[in-house]
Amino acid sequence: MLEVPGRIYVLATLLPLAAFALLLAGGAARAFYRPFRKGGGLLGTMYWVCGGDKPLRTGAYLATAVMAATAVLAVAGLVQFLSDPTEGSIRASRWAERIDWVRIGPGDTLSPPEWERQRATDNARPAPRLALALELGYKIDHLTAVAFAMVSVIATLIFVFSTAYMADETAETVLDEGVKGRRGEGGHGHGHDSQPLSPAHPFTPSGFRRRGRYGRFFLYLSLFCFSMLNLLIADNLFQVFVSWELVGVCSFFLIGFYYERPSASAAANKAFIVNRVGDAGFLVGIVVAWSYCGTLNIEELTRRVRAPAEDTHGEYEMANQIIRVSAEPQLPTATAETPRDYVLEPRDEPGTGTHVLLFPIAWAEPTHFHGPGHGKHKDSVFEVPVRGDYVSYGVIPYALFVLMGVGIFLGCVGKSAQVPLHTWLPDAMEGPTPVSALIHAATMVAAGVYLVGRCYPLFAAEVLLTIAYVGAVTLFIAATVALVQTDIKRILAYSTCSQLGFMMLALGIGAWTAGLLHLITHAFFKALLFLCSGSVIHGCHHEQDVRKMGGLWRKMPVTAFTMLVGVLAISGAPFLSGWYSKDQILAAALGYGLEHKAHVLLLALPFAAAAMTAYYMFRLWFLTFAGTPRGDGAAHAHESPLAMTVPLVVLAVFSVGVAWGWPFWEPEASALGHVLEKAQPAFVAAQFAAEHREAEHRHLTAGALALVLGVSGAWLAWWLFGWRQPAGVEMHKPGGAAYRFLREKWYFDELYDAAIVNPTVGLAKFAAAADKAPTDRPRVFPLPTLDGLFNAVGEACVAAGQALRAVQTGRVRTYVLALALTAAAMLGILTALAK
Amino acid sequence: MSELGIQPFLVLSAFLFACGVVCVASKRNAIGVLMGVELILNAANVNLVAFARFNPAFRLDGQVFALLVIVLAAAEAAVALAIILNFYNNHGTVDVDSADELQG
Repeated sequence: MLEVPGRIYVLATLLPLAAFALLLAGGAARAFYRPFRKGGGLLGTMYWVCGGDKPLRTGAYLATAVMAATAVLAVAGLVQFLSDPTEGSIRASRWAERIDWVRIGPGDTLSPPEWERQRATDNARPAPRLALALELGYKIDHLTAVAFAMVSVIATLIFVFSTAYMADETAETVLDEGVKGRRGEGGHGHGHDSQPLSPAHPFTPSGFRRRGRYGRFFLYLSLFCFSMLNLLIADNLFQVFVSWELVGVCSFFLIGFYYERPSASAAANKAFIVNRVGDAGFLVGIVVAWSYCGTLNIEELTRRVRAPAEDTHGEYEMANQIIRVSAEPQLPTATAETPRDYVLEPRDEPGTGTHVLLFPIAWAEPTHFHGPGHGKHKDSVFEVPVRGDYVSYGVIPYALFVLMGVGIFLGCVGKSAQVPLHTWLPDAMEGPTPVSALIHAATMVAAGVYLVGRCYPLFAAEVLLTIAYVGAVTLFIAATVALVQTDIKRILAYSTCSQLGFMMLALGIGAWTAGLLHLITHAFFKALLFLCSGSVIHGCHHEQDVRKMGGLWRKMPVTAFTMLVGVLAISGAPFLSGWYSKDQILAAALGYGLEHKAHVLLLALPFAAAAMTAYYMFRLWFLTFAGTPRGDGAAHAHESPLAMTVPLVVLAVFSVGVAWGWPFWEPEASALGHVLEKAQPAFVAAQFAAEHREAEHRHLTAGALALVLGVSGAWLAWWLFGWRQPAGVEMHKPGGAAYRFLREKWYFDELYDAAIVNPTVGLAKFAAAADKAPTDRPRVFPLPTLDGLFNAVGEACVAAGQALRAVQTGRVRTYVLALALTAAAMLGILTALAK
Repeated sequence: MSELGIQPFLVLSAFLFACGVVCVASKRNAIGVLMGVELILNAANVNLVAFARFNPAFRLDGQVFALLVIVLAAAEAAVALAIILNFYNNHGTVDVDSADELQG
C-alpha cells in the first residue's frame, strides 16, 4: 500500500461500490422476508430488522459516510500525489498498475534485443505485435488526481444534501403528485385525499401512492459515484467504456427515479437512447484503436501514434508529433512477401501523407507491471526515422485515424450534451434535484470533457477543429435558449450545456489546461447552483417556475447568498473561481481567432455567450430572490434545514477560492491551473505555440472585453428584472417569433421528432401491425399478418395430422395387406419399366 | 434332378410366399400369423438354396444364407412366442385385432 500509493485510489473507488452492494443486499433481504412479515417467527422478525415497511435511514447514512471516506482518501491521495518527489518511470510505477482481464492469443514473445537482432538481418520484419488483452488498470496523473478529488468532494456534499432533500422518501407511503389523470380517474383537485389507501389502487385523484424509496436513491447514487470514479482512474479505453455505460445506466435510473410519472420515464429513456447514439461512435473509435494499435491503454496508444519525445536524429519538430507517411510501392526491395514500405512526409507539408506511422511499444517497457523494485522501468528511447527515409513500422490509414478520433469524440458529445446530442440534458431535469447536481456538475457530463482531455493525443488536427466548432456552436445555442427559459432547473441545465461548450471549445483550440480547469471550477459552482435551486424548490414546496418566485432572499438568506456566489462565479466575476478558467478560455479563443482569421466564429461565439451567461444567470437570481413573491409557494417559503445549507456554504467557499493562486489578479497564476498543466500532453505547447503566444499577448484585452460584456449582461438583467420588477402577468405573454424560437429550444426536439423519432415509431407501428392484429379471441390473428401466417401453417400441419391418423388403425392384417399390395405394385412398376 | 431346372423351385417359392402373405393377412390368431411368417421365410430359403444349386457363383453363399435364415427364424419364433404369451396374459386372447392400443 505504501510502496504503491496509487492503490489509495483503487480503495477510494471501490468504497462506493461496497456501499452499493451492501444497500442492494439489504434491500434484497427485506424483499425476501417481506412475505413472512405477518407470520412472525424468525423470518418475520428479520423483516422488521431489515427496516420493515418504513424505509431505513441507516443505509443512506452509511452511503454518505462511505462517500465521505472516499473524499477523505481522495484528498489524501491528491496531497500525497502532489508531494511525491519521485520522477519519471518510478513515479509512474508508484501511481499506475494494470492486470490482464482477458488475454487473447500470445503476443510477440521476442525480447527487445532479440527483436533488434532480427531486424538487423531482416529489415522488412514488421514491428512486434502486442498480445491483445483487455486489461484492468489505473493511472493517476495530475488531471486524474484533481478530478477525483473534485468528484468525491462534490459527491459527498450532494449525499449530505440529499439526506435532507429526499426526506419525503422516508415515509411509509409517498403521494406523488406528479402522476395524475391515469386509469380514467377524474378529478384533478389538489389536496383532496378522499380515497382510502389501498395497495391495489395506488392511483388516487391527487396522485400516485407508493412506498418511500430513500434507500434506493442512495443505492443508485453510490453506484453512480463508483462508475464515475472508476472512469476517472481507468487507464484504458475499455475500462472507460464499461464505466461509461455504467454511468449511463445509473443516470437512466436516477432521471427515471419517479418512474410513475410519464414525463420522468420518457426523459430517462431519452437520456439513455440519445447517449447510445454517442456510444456507438465511441465503440467505433475503440474498435479502430484496438484493431490497428493492438492496445486500448491510453498511454500506449499515445506512444503508438505520437513520435517519441526524444528525437534520435535531433529533428525536434518531430517530437511528440503525429508522423504521416505515404506508401511507396516501387521500392526495389519491396516484394510480394515483404510488407509495403512507407516514406516519411515532411511535417511542414501537411495533408500529404496517407497513413499515420505507428511506433512500436511492446518492448519498450514490460507490458506487465509487477510492482516497484522490479528493475525494468527504464525510460524508453525510440528510434525516430529520418525524413524521407523508408520505414517499416506499422501504419494506420489517415482517414481511419480521423474516424477513430471523431468516434471517441462522438461518445463525448453524447455524454457531455453537445449539439446535436444535447437534447437529453434539459429533459434530465425530471430527476430529483441532487441528481441534477450530480449529473450536471460532478459526474456524467464531466465524463465527456474529461475523456476528450484524456485522449487528447489521439486526436488529429481535423478532429480538434471539429471539437472546437461543436463546442462553440453548443455554447452559443445553449446560452441563447437559457435566456428565455422559466424553469429554474432548465435554465441551469442549458447553462451547463453552454459551459460544457466552453470546455470543448477550449480543448479544441489547444487551451487544454483552461478547458479542464473550467471543468473543475464549473463542477463546484454548478453543483452549488443546482443544490441552491434544490433548496429553493424544497423551500417553495416543489415550485420550479421562476415566474412564480421572487422575494426569496428575505426568507432564504443562506440560499440566496450562496447562490449569488455561484451566479457571480459562473458569470466570470473577477477573483472567483470561474473568472480564472473563463478568462483563460476567452483569451485562448481570442488568440486562436486572431491567429486563424478563417475561424473567427470560434472567437465571436464565446464572447457573445459570455455576455449572455451573465444575463441569464442574473435574470435567474433576480427573478428568484429579488422583489416580492409572485406565487403561493414563494409566499410560504422557508429556509432549508442545516443538512442542506451546510453543503451550500462549503460549495460556495470552493466556488470562490478553488482556483486561486498568486498573484491572484492574474488568471494565468491559478494554482489549480498550474497543477493541471503538469498533466498537459507534451505536444500541445509545440503545436499551438503561435496561438498561445497570441493569447498571452492579448489576455488583458480578452479579460477586459469579457468583464465589460459580463457586466453589461448582468446590468441588463438587473435593469429588466431587478429594478423594473415586472409583474407576473407580463412574463406569461407569448412574445415574438424570435422569443418563441428560443423558448422552443431552436425546435431541436421537433426536428428530431419529425426526422427520426416519428419515422422510427411509424416503422415500429407498421412492424407491429404486420406482426399481429388484435382480434376478439386470444391467440387468433387474421391471415395477412405475420402471426396469422405462422398460425395458419401450424394449423395446416395439425389438420394434416388429424387426417392421416385415421390410416393408423393398429390392425396387423391391414398393414400386411398394404405391405403386400405395395410390394406387388412396385414389382409391377419395375416389370413395366424393364420392358 | 438337375434337368428339372430352376423354374419349378421358383414357382414353389412364390407359391409358399403367397401362402404366407395370405396367412399373415387373413389370420386373426397370432399363432397363425407367426406360422405365415415362417412360411414366408421358408419361401425365401427355397429361393436361396435353389440359386445356390443352379448358379455356381453362389454355391456356398446361398447355403450359408439359408442357414442364417433358419437360425433367424428360430430366434424370431422365440421372441414372437414370448410376445404372444405376454399379449395373452394381458388381454386373455391371442386375437391380433384386439392389439390396437397404439393406433393414432
